[in-house]
Amino acid sequence: MNAPLPKRIWQWFTRTRVGRSIFRIGLPESNLEQSQVMVSSFLLHVQPVKVHRHSLRASYSLGLGLILLYLFLILTGTGVLLMFYYVPSTEKAYDIMKDLQYVVSAGLVIRNMHRWAGHLMVLFVLLHMCRVFYTGAYKRPREFNWVIGVGLFLLTLGLSFTGYLLPWDQLAFWAITVGTNIAGYAPVIGTKLKYLMLGGNVVGQEALTRFYALHVIVLPTVALLMVAVHLWRVRKDGGLSRPDEPGDIVQQIELKQLPTNKTYGLMELARGTTPQVGKNPEDEVFAWPHLVFRELLLFLLVTAVVLFLAIFWNAPLEELANPIHPPNPAKAPWYFLGLQELVSYSAFWGGVVVPGLLVTALMLLPYMDRQRKGVGRWFARERVVANTIFSVCLVIAVVLTIIGTSFRGPNWGWVVPWKQPPAITEGH
Amino acid sequence: MNHSIPDNKKDVSRRGFFQLTLGWLAGSFAVAASAAGAVRFLVPNVLFEPSLRFKAGKPDDYPDGSVTFMEDERIFLVRQGNTFRCLSAICTHLGCTVNRADHGYHCPCHGSVFDDQGAVKSGPAPRGLEWFQVTLSKDNRLLVDKNQRVAADKYLVL
Repeated sequence: MNAPLPKRIWQWFTRTRVGRSIFRIGLPESNLEQSQVMVSSFLLHVQPVKVHRHSLRASYSLGLGLILLYLFLILTGTGVLLMFYYVPSTEKAYDIMKDLQYVVSAGLVIRNMHRWAGHLMVLFVLLHMCRVFYTGAYKRPREFNWVIGVGLFLLTLGLSFTGYLLPWDQLAFWAITVGTNIAGYAPVIGTKLKYLMLGGNVVGQEALTRFYALHVIVLPTVALLMVAVHLWRVRKDGGLSRPDEPGDIVQQIELKQLPTNKTYGLMELARGTTPQVGKNPEDEVFAWPHLVFRELLLFLLVTAVVLFLAIFWNAPLEELANPIHPPNPAKAPWYFLGLQELVSYSAFWGGVVVPGLLVTALMLLPYMDRQRKGVGRWFARERVVANTIFSVCLVIAVVLTIIGTSFRGPNWGWVVPWKQPPAITEGH
Repeated sequence: MNHSIPDNKKDVSRRGFFQLTLGWLAGSFAVAASAAGAVRFLVPNVLFEPSLRFKAGKPDDYPDGSVTFMEDERIFLVRQGNTFRCLSAICTHLGCTVNRADHGYHCPCHGSVFDDQGAVKSGPAPRGLEWFQVTLSKDNRLLVDKNQRVAADKYLVL
């Protein structure tokens, strides 16, 4: 046997009694074992034994969903590490940030990784949403998975928002102030909601405790469950969306049409797009190694990029929270600056009505756009109207964000970025 | 031994109907009550927050024509001649602390501008800044009550 040494050791180990009891199948060497390894392993059984070639095309999916999953894992790992030091106390939180920066071994890099992975997650959720839209992938039978995706988008924003106020710096304090006041503009329940979020009338210890609980347990748990359902549905819908092929066996059996007076096997529950229906065997490849190793490679790549960012750029930490003086201008992170620009015209319209309508429209989208054509291709000609509408909204959001980021200065006044006036430090 | 297999054709007896209905109702009620209790649990009953009534010192501490910012209370104490008023420094838009400008007040967060009377001159603020009641305590100190909102033309005259 001329295999490399690590492989030989692995093969020897998986043939021993102990190795076999753990892994059951060693490195697969036949098609049968390639199937068995996927089914018998806990980590792999989530995935199908065979995947459609189309699902593997990086130019189609860009790997955005997987990247998000890996960012979520990195955030969980670094987040749990940070919890070993962090205390949600208005007295201590900021000092602990300084400890993480200057005292704790690797504390700086781990905090940086957490922050940059968080930023990347917001960015990639947006990109993922664009990908799914421009390829028409939200259409039947994937409508509800798009809705879950919109929910995950909101959760990501919620996690970011609750996260960046834990350091209890100026950004934290004024973000919590502005954010809960926006909630206060919600019709009917606004005032109560604000009181509930803050655990009182002023931004203080109770508010920090509440946002901490939301950030470390409530929102991540909900997100984890929704991610699980999101991925499970991708699998149940037969992998990633793809264009109809002439050879496809289209089989639409409605469940209710099945005879009810007999017991039936699992194969009879198959519907149009379940994994084994509508696929030609020659279009499929074994998940081991084609899918599994691509996924592993992408995971290593994402971790490397986040680590690179964390080593060379430090996460911002503003001055200690000061309830008397908001920084001037007081800016949210980039992903909320479009919203902040809207809010600077009207808190109710910009902070409640426009975002509310936008989220509602996104959730209803797959039920309003029922055209079946143009699925599984980027910028399909049949979808030119939908794509144009989406692009216009996207451009507006980007322009608002750019204005908020670069064209707003002290007192939220208009500035041009190449003539930035110095930040005002004013007294009374 | 086939009593465990449900038989759809069986008629429901009166007793069975009530047992079933009451069972479902009781179960649903327990769940709904638990949910309501959980929400109520999150609403605090006692607040450990600074008092909204506070003494602002002696009237003579404030020179004539002055506008004094009090950090901890986030208010401006305005003296004109022998009149005293108290203006909230919290922007009515989204709660930032406004800054005193040459004429009026500016909010740094979203650019609202207020005049000397606290009225909105420009920007997204929906209402003018609040005025609070100022009275004189028995020991001759200014007493501000942030629970009591008053009109801009209501003064404490000494």
